Amino acid sequence: MKRALRVGAGEGVVITANRLLDGAIVWLAADDIWLTRMQRANVFEPEAAVERVSALQSRAQSDGVVGIYEIAVRPEETGPMPVTMRERIRAFGPTVHPQFAYTAQEGVGA
Amino acid sequence: MSVSIGQYHYDQVDRDFLSARIGEFSEQVARRLDGSLTEDEFKPLRLMNGLYLQLHAYMLRVAVPYGTLNAQQVRAFADVARRYDRGYGHFTTRQNIQFNWIRLEDTPDILRLLADVDMHALQTSGNCIRNVTSDEFAGAAADELVDPRVHAEILRQWSTLHPEFTFLPRKFKIAISGSPNDRVAARFHDIGVVARPGSDGRVAFQIFVGGGLGRTPIVGQELYPAVPEERLLATLEAIIRVYNAHGRRDNIYKARIKILVQALGIEAYREAVETELAQMDVARYRLSPEMVSSIEARFASPDLNAPDNAADVLAEQRARDFVFDRWVRSNTHAHRAAGHIIAVVSLKTPGEIPGDVTADQLDRLAGLSERFAYGELRTTHLQNVVFGHVRQDQLYDLWRGLVEVGLGAPNFGLIGDIVACPGLDYCALANARSIPIAQKLGARFADMSLQEQIGALQINISGCINACGHHHAGHIGLLGVDKRGEEFFQMTLGGRADDQAAVGKILGPALPEDDTVDAIARIVDRYLKERSGKESFLETLKRVGETPFKEAAYDVV
Repeated sequence: MKRALRVGAGEGVVITANRLLDGAIVWLAADDIWLTRMQRANVFEPEAAVERVSALQSRAQSDGVVGIYEIAVRPEETGPMPVTMRERIRAFGPTVHPQFAYTAQEGVGA
Repeated sequence: MSVSIGQYHYDQVDRDFLSARIGEFSEQVARRLDGSLTEDEFKPLRLMNGLYLQLHAYMLRVAVPYGTLNAQQVRAFADVARRYDRGYGHFTTRQNIQFNWIRLEDTPDILRLLADVDMHALQTSGNCIRNVTSDEFAGAAADELVDPRVHAEILRQWSTLHPEFTFLPRKFKIAISGSPNDRVAARFHDIGVVARPGSDGRVAFQIFVGGGLGRTPIVGQELYPAVPEERLLATLEAIIRVYNAHGRRDNIYKARIKILVQALGIEAYREAVETELAQMDVARYRLSPEMVSSIEARFASPDLNAPDNAADVLAEQRARDFVFDRWVRSNTHAHRAAGHIIAVVSLKTPGEIPGDVTADQLDRLAGLSERFAYGELRTTHLQNVVFGHVRQDQLYDLWRGLVEVGLGAPNFGLIGDIVACPGLDYCALANARSIPIAQKLGARFADMSLQEQIGALQINISGCINACGHHHAGHIGLLGVDKRGEEFFQMTLGGRADDQAAVGKILGPALPEDDTVDAIARIVDRYLKERSGKESFLETLKRVGETPFKEAAYDVV
């Protein structure tokens, strides 16, 4: 679900969605491929991300995704880190069931 | 399926309808997957079948009509949890159950599995009349005046697929109780119905309208003190027809009936209902004694025979086992029949997720219900489970069976009995996590002797202003807010959902998540110092005011 995007200094934007079939969270990586590992997501400038989302909406069905939107991230050694708690939970899994956490190796829905 | 206690029994018409509906939804899912339906087209269709898209996956919300279940249905939930979820179900504050890890393509199969035990997910979402909720002690409590389940079932049948009320301005929630002690939060519903014996020997209904929580918490107002049974459906039809005609559709935040009732005033709303009734064909809605009897006949009743010494056996077992004795003190309620008792299973084991149950626990609950409670269970709006009819001489064995699967927490109605929405860990609407702070509070107050010393104290936690955790109605309420990635909690004191319903008052600025548990601990300490005799938290708050608790929360003394 899209929320107001606020991008601070030094932050970038990645594009995310849910997979149509199972709702699993995906991020847009190189070559416009949707991956379940956020660490490999492409980081955009905010304006570029908005344009990209618009283009991606038209092929969401063929890509098998739903609810495409952009989120703010901070650059970290391990890759982009979502700014908000909400997106960190989407990226790493619910905090209340450690066994359901998403790992960097296996990603979402593993 | 075999006849079960406390439930309306489906006939072939009911089952054929469900089957056809699942077939229809199955086709809709297929058309969504092949691209024939866009997400915008499909979303209202999936919501009509209880299917949400949440943070990590699809979530299926299954209706539990007025909170009653039989053992087969609970086993079906366990089956869904194992085969299609990740081993869990989550009981909600609307007496329903949610599964958080559902795949879209599995949904028709899940609905078929549920339909095999007469269950569905209809009207658990959307701007329609939602699942009618009722008293978890219905038909069993010693303090009950009228068993509300027959009329709850009548309301279920009346509201299911009601053609005029399928697209209301906003969702619509009805609760019905038959006890003078409100256990359904009647005054916090769009319509709250309290059944009681009428002067003519039939049932009469006190009707409240315009209550609700969410962004604008309001205590419902009495519209009628005693509606005769035969006019119940006509009256409800008129109330909702007025709302449907005049409720706002331009602003989702002002679309609930509570806003309309506030805007018109209760007198004007009543006049509008009367005008509507005057032009309705009221006879068409007449609820005759024969119709009520025909519904009543579809409920099986338990054969409540207990040995003469059942109470003595229970007394002996309580004397022998002080842990059991404590659980009996907190987690049971007086039954109307001699030798019987009502048992509440707390789903608030300290440190665990409020309302969560594993597939194994569901299976155990089903088995225990068959052994000790006539195969019947109830869910509660406080996210617990109730065995309505237990023989007193068998209560000890039931309790041991619960303890074996971690469901023996003796904290019903105490500070550990925390109500919490799924929060940001699962919900797409949430701003903050509800579950972790509930777990921390549960662990902080895990000492059962301390809980008993504190006494009745309800904590409710919501992860956003939509208030699914009913924080406004908590004696202590917590509302999670997000401040640029950091979780804060706004605290309210003095809320209650009983027959003296009140909206909690905001105590002060929101506290960081790390400080909130300590702040509540300080409030509780202050209460223990301030209270006089056996005063409850609410009684002390009423007597001394909020200042001491504000000082404690913000540590300014």
